[in-house]
Amino acid sequence: MSRRATVSRNFTTSSNWGEILNYRKIFNNLGIILLVEAALMVLPVIVAIAYREKTILYFLITMGFLAATGALFTHMKPQKESIYAREGYITVALAWLLMSLFGALPFFLSGSIPNYMDAFFETVSGFTTTGSTILSDIESLPRSILFWRAFTHFIGGMGILVFVIAIIPKAEGQAIHIMRAEVPGPTVGKLVSKIKASARILYAIYIGMTAVLVMLLYFGPSHMPMFESITNAFATAGTGGFCVLNNSIEGYHSHYAEIVIGIFMMLFGVNFNLYYLILKKRAGQALKDEELRWYLSTVAVATLIIGLDLMFTKFSPADAFRLSFFQVSSIISTTGFSSTDFDIWPTLSKVILILLMFIGGCSGSTGGGMKVSRIAVVFKSSARSIRKAVNPRSVETIKLNGRPVDEETVNGIIGYFAMFVLLTAFSVFIVSFEGKGLDTSSTAVFACINNVGPGLAGVGPSGNFSHFSLLSKAVLSFDMLAGRLELIPVFMFFTRYMIPRKTS
Amino acid sequence: MNIIIVGMGKLGMTLTSQLSGENHDVVVVDINGSVVTNTVDSYDVMGICGNGSTVEILREAGAKKAKLLIACTGSDELNILCCTFAKNLGTEYTIARVRNPDYATQTQFLREKIGINMIVNPEYETANEISRIIRFPSVASLDSFARGKVEMARIVLHSDNPLCDMQISEIRKKFKANVIICAVQRGNSVYIPGGKFELKREDSINITGTRTEISTFLKQTGVYKHRIKNVMIIGGGKIGFYLSELLSDTSRNIKLIDSDPARCHDLTNALTDVSIICGDGTDQAILDEQGLDNQDALVALTGIDEENIVVSLYAESKNVKKVIAKVNRHSYSILNNIGLETLVSPQNVAGSLVTRYVRALENSSGSANIQTLYKLVGGKIEAAEFIVPQNWAHNDETIKEMNLKSNLIVACIIRNGKVIYPNGDDCINSGDNVVIVTAGNSIKELHDIFKLG
Repeated sequence: MSRRATVSRNFTTSSNWGEILNYRKIFNNLGIILLVEAALMVLPVIVAIAYREKTILYFLITMGFLAATGALFTHMKPQKESIYAREGYITVALAWLLMSLFGALPFFLSGSIPNYMDAFFETVSGFTTTGSTILSDIESLPRSILFWRAFTHFIGGMGILVFVIAIIPKAEGQAIHIMRAEVPGPTVGKLVSKIKASARILYAIYIGMTAVLVMLLYFGPSHMPMFESITNAFATAGTGGFCVLNNSIEGYHSHYAEIVIGIFMMLFGVNFNLYYLILKKRAGQALKDEELRWYLSTVAVATLIIGLDLMFTKFSPADAFRLSFFQVSSIISTTGFSSTDFDIWPTLSKVILILLMFIGGCSGSTGGGMKVSRIAVVFKSSARSIRKAVNPRSVETIKLNGRPVDEETVNGIIGYFAMFVLLTAFSVFIVSFEGKGLDTSSTAVFACINNVGPGLAGVGPSGNFSHFSLLSKAVLSFDMLAGRLELIPVFMFFTRYMIPRKTS
Repeated sequence: MNIIIVGMGKLGMTLTSQLSGENHDVVVVDINGSVVTNTVDSYDVMGICGNGSTVEILREAGAKKAKLLIACTGSDELNILCCTFAKNLGTEYTIARVRNPDYATQTQFLREKIGINMIVNPEYETANEISRIIRFPSVASLDSFARGKVEMARIVLHSDNPLCDMQISEIRKKFKANVIICAVQRGNSVYIPGGKFELKREDSINITGTRTEISTFLKQTGVYKHRIKNVMIIGGGKIGFYLSELLSDTSRNIKLIDSDPARCHDLTNALTDVSIICGDGTDQAILDEQGLDNQDALVALTGIDEENIVVSLYAESKNVKKVIAKVNRHSYSILNNIGLETLVSPQNVAGSLVTRYVRALENSSGSANIQTLYKLVGGKIEAAEFIVPQNWAHNDETIKEMNLKSNLIVACIIRNGKVIYPNGDDCINSGDNVVIVTAGNSIKELHDIFKLG
């Protein structure tokens, strides 16, 4: 008896020992990320100088904090370099949390958002490219603050860690764990052999497409000013949805701007690997991609149904389909711009929009939601279960792009789906304590966890999130981070890896 | 350089680790998805899952524009097929692992008619390495530079060695032998010793010099071992076969033990002058019965690392002069500390051969001018031979004046066929061959020896 006890204790202690995290390396990486964030704040400072705004001081203070903390963290030299999947997840989760905590400072210090929790919510919403806001009068804010608000979308869209991988001198092969934790989608492949080159290609495509959008908005017939072209392009590229106008894109009263932004929102919801294939003159292969086809057909069908639904209420056909396309593109890419108050649309249209929230963009895009490929696999797997019930002896594999998806991935996707639903249900439960309407409480959670932005009713295009309590804002902030980082990294904090245990 | 590696067995993994570490763009192909995921997780490479000897997968891996393809799947035929396809798709160079002895005689045909640039046979190369050690038994391993003019030998200092507790500068004065101690391995650390460095018991040291000078030095220090006459080989696999063949042409008594009667029968047909014993060579009773006490050398080549290690430890305890064990899992660092002097692993032997070839390819395309390169002690030490280029800017500059990196030593200079053992007052001139030994740095061209900035 006693002998057995010793053996089992030895076993547990040795396994704990093997699971000790490489904290030094994690903090070292976090330090680099904070320094990069400090460097990125140079841009809003330039804006503040250009418009002669006093906010420059608050940005400089924040940069000072970032640089000091970053220097402190990077001072911690790792004893060993090796990191594994768990370190990758934790680095990413902590990085996003820290970035948001520091990123909220300019809003808070400048008094634009007097409450720190509100400022944190706004920053998380920015970095996770959600676009939910607690502000009611956006237009009154200083330009540099508005710029930083839109810029968080751009940083969060492709991911700051991917950016760090692209610029640090030597990325080890194990950086793939970090990239995998940050880039959305069930499987993450590299474009080329070197992870650094892959990250650079992704950012080059991202920046290139954003630049094209800026040009189209600025030089197009909408006559959008340069500052607003840039901030709107940032919000579109990251599929975020913060606009500098109170009425979002509706405020420009320009069909041209609506159509251009509508198309680009859709484009940023596409897997960036496909753009690389197109650049490599393999467009045929890119267009055959199954996820892309599901995505485009979903957009087409949803636009058609909502368009018809609107036509039968009160809109002219041209208006109906223009509004329908813009809103479908905005919601499925999880951007969250609005070109009209869709809260007054018929129920059918609103339900379709809610469904689109959950589908989200393609894997490897800047969009949120559950991702088209996951939904496709869940559908195929359900169909298989039904066929298997009818004919228990049938054997079949699930295929995507004509290639079998291995069972482990299928199980992972179904597990992800279940976790997503559970977290959504739990969050709705907490938020419903506020006593707000069912549509407000539920769509607030849907909009946050899927990184969309606006929901319906109280949180619809005309409303905002400022009326929620502290607890609800904390839960919603958590949902936004969980949705952007795809659950696992943030859930890591509740596992025993993160809870130091005393071994006797 | 774009390199495709097909087949992620032990050799494939070793090559991936070395080549991706040298900053090549590596694409790995394997039919097993989890192996590919594993590789991509550990190294900065791209992975493709599929059959590497199909045109479709090779296209996807980028065989059209690749510079080099290395096929090291478990099957010789697949490797040859894979190289042929790749060559026709446009890959510039191909290397195939071919290890069936039946094909060993056809390497020339494969090279000239099929267009495979290099055939690697890890078992044969391992046997070759072992035979070189047996021919020069005083040292734990031996590598040669400048077409054999200079050799680098590794010896282990046992407690009776007079070098123990001596400083490097004293050794030169006392023994007057023209050798240079260029690297010291102690436990798991590797040092490039300076004059004040003191050697300790159980250190393993690398010395460079001509073979006669190394011999003299070893005789002076009492490490020299006499010619090996009786060799016992445990395990009649491919390495055992090649080794018996390589050693049997000289007047040695070779005893080969294998437990499979059918295999023994095949071996008797193929080998002459080798006595073949059928029995379990890992059994202590059989080893004693076959006269382990009288053997000069024992080579443990069974398929199981643990058995090889146990048999070798037993042989060391019986005072067999030279004990060599084959291990596949060479990465375990404890292997350096268990008291076995000479360990060989086929994938490391083949791996360094291929790495050398890759570096040679780089030379032909770029400005680098490496002649030979050895990775020792599990890759911790690198010994590289360079030809000093014509546009060398440091002619007539003494080594003392040069701002060299730390952990680096100029082990020898070969000028007009004469070997110079440099001290601080020598200089490196255009046209010389120099051997550089480093720990921790990767030297790709001669300019890399200087400190940056």
